[in-house]
Amino acid sequence: MKIPSYDDLARSIGDVHPRDTFDQVTRLVRCEEPVVRSSHASPEHAARSTQHGPPELFACLRARSDATAGALMSLARDFSSRIERDGDAGVVLDVAGLGRLLGDAYGIAAELQRTAFDRGVKVRIAIAPTQTAARLLTLGPMPPAEGGSRPDLTGGVATVVTGDVAAALGPLPLDTLQQLAGEPCRTFDALKRWGIRSVGEFAALPADELAARFGPQGLAIQGLARGLDPRPLVPDPGVPRFIQSIELEWPIEKLEPLSFVLARLLDPLAVALERADKGGAAIRLELRLTDKTIHSRMMQLPAPMRDPRVLRTLLSLDLDSHPPSAAIDVVTIEIDPAPARIVQFSLLERAIPSPETLATLTARLNALVGEDRCGSPVLLDSHRPDAFEMTRFHPPAPRPPGPPAPRPPGTLCLRRFRPPVAVRIGIAHGRPVHVAIDRRGMPGGRVEQSAGPWRSSGAWWDASGSHWDRDEWDIALSDGTIGRLYCDRGTGRWFMDGLMD
Amino acid sequence: MATARLALESLLRDRKLDSTLTSARPWVAEPEDRIAPAGIPGIGSEGGLRRGHLSEIVGSRSSGRTTILCGLLAAVTGAGEVVAFIDTCDRFDPASAADAGVDLSRLLWIRERGDAARALKAVNLVVQAGGFGLVAFDLADVPSMAVRQFPHTTWMRLSRVIEGSQTALVLLGADHIARSPGGITVALRDDGGPRAPRGRWSGTADRARRLATLDIHPRVIGMLNAEC
Repeated sequence: MKIPSYDDLARSIGDVHPRDTFDQVTRLVRCEEPVVRSSHASPEHAARSTQHGPPELFACLRARSDATAGALMSLARDFSSRIERDGDAGVVLDVAGLGRLLGDAYGIAAELQRTAFDRGVKVRIAIAPTQTAARLLTLGPMPPAEGGSRPDLTGGVATVVTGDVAAALGPLPLDTLQQLAGEPCRTFDALKRWGIRSVGEFAALPADELAARFGPQGLAIQGLARGLDPRPLVPDPGVPRFIQSIELEWPIEKLEPLSFVLARLLDPLAVALERADKGGAAIRLELRLTDKTIHSRMMQLPAPMRDPRVLRTLLSLDLDSHPPSAAIDVVTIEIDPAPARIVQFSLLERAIPSPETLATLTARLNALVGEDRCGSPVLLDSHRPDAFEMTRFHPPAPRPPGPPAPRPPGTLCLRRFRPPVAVRIGIAHGRPVHVAIDRRGMPGGRVEQSAGPWRSSGAWWDASGSHWDRDEWDIALSDGTIGRLYCDRGTGRWFMDGLMD
Repeated sequence: MATARLALESLLRDRKLDSTLTSARPWVAEPEDRIAPAGIPGIGSEGGLRRGHLSEIVGSRSSGRTTILCGLLAAVTGAGEVVAFIDTCDRFDPASAADAGVDLSRLLWIRERGDAARALKAVNLVVQAGGFGLVAFDLADVPSMAVRQFPHTTWMRLSRVIEGSQTALVLLGADHIARSPGGITVALRDDGGPRAPRGRWSGTADRARRLATLDIHPRVIGMLNAEC
């Protein structure tokens, strides 16, 4: 099948109407559909897609002749706000969110082609699930105009990969990878001496053997050969900044009047974010104080949000916890934008608090009880008693109601004393027979039943004092209380760990 | 009777008090509006906690209050909802709660150091935020005197906040504290008296004995399948 190149097309269309030209170009893209469309994605990419929700999709535009960097950036910026320059002649853009507007990857490629053609910019276009794959495909050699051995990879002006990235990159020559990696010739000379000629052959080498010979650098290059991204896309700072500042006529000393100033700054920022269909991912507050110092605060928001009342509440609560040391002269707020959230509610699931509500609630609770005393507990992988840590409350997505999990029989729930309460113990035949606690409202009395000792110890290698070595007893007291005692084997002292309830 | 009703309604309209009139049927509690603790015999789905109402679990030490509460938390988090637990004296044990089936990632745990008034403020914030399937307020180890110092309107106000919402608010205490008219009290009985053993032990020999489970005898007080 003959696949005309961009130049052939441009020569052939001559004085044809641009719309007709667009149709021809569109057909060009569609005739490239034999490019890889496999259901077997690489494990790394599959794992990443699973972790991050919707699949990623990147486009790379690379100048073929006289396209200036400015024209390329302008073209890319018309399609996405998340763009990153790739050398002097290339740009990578995140096109994952364009599906609803332009259709699938082929539709996006066609639209990119049409716009580039209208502006007279000659570019090579590649669309792939990873940045690395898209960049490699635009660096690869053009196939012969009459069709060649690999018409399915780089023929025409656009390449679209929607499936197995590694398979799509496999036939590319090794020089393409060298051009992308920018590594010295020594590594690639060695590979060529081994008879490695293509990216696919290099990607298939065993990783451990490669690491033994080339070290981490070799593994990193092999990751590129497999189409893996070494880092996420870093958007070009040229995107518009959402920043507002005000210089006060009179310094503000209290936080209450400051909240009105914050509202005055946040309202136009929220409007600007709404117009750009963005939400705030992080918010920075800079207060220039009368003592010529800068009081800076930065807050990561749990989800992109732009409600000015929520943002003002969060900033006010944060300043309550971290007040400035002097009166305020200048207030500056900058919001880092992120794509706005698309929320699809369900009739079948019960509603959970929105991220805005949770962020405000968590901030208020942190101010009330302390930052480390509010959140979700996460159990640690340790046998140490009471081993857990507090994490930020960020519940997973709601799921449709279903039958509750069967409760394991005989579960005992403990009410734990923090810290454990020191007790006086009477012992007979090696078992506790009497418990007395010198604190009001605590249980005590004769031990009616006891079970133990259950010995546990650990972290003896840790010099920081976190080791434990104890004998635990479950006891039933004469007043009906059932509790857990333990004896610290290091000191011989007894403690009440908690009560069964 | 009908004439008297019409007269009363016209009188209310004249005084612009007709917003109190309703032709809707009295609300009947549906079984889906109740939360039953997972794995606790004696509190079925018909006798569980009602959403939109204030209920309480009361009992003495080791009577099984926390076990029932963990069953409730497990039931609600198991259904994909989020819960909040305001722990006035920092007594909650995440490991045993996880063993009881609680999905800890859906649990907002607020740990107070014994200040009941501050814990009450936290409860206020949580119920005002809304969206929680169950909010539990643990006052079990707070001295009765401190609990009694709360104004009586406190519980009425909290009941009013959650009324009509999907949130069930439950208090955990040693003695009766409060419940809304549609709420229930789960009283844990001491069948053999306060000094009776409440544990079930397995094994006879000293070295082979272990605490198997607690004997829990819940008694549900309040409306069961009643119409408001």
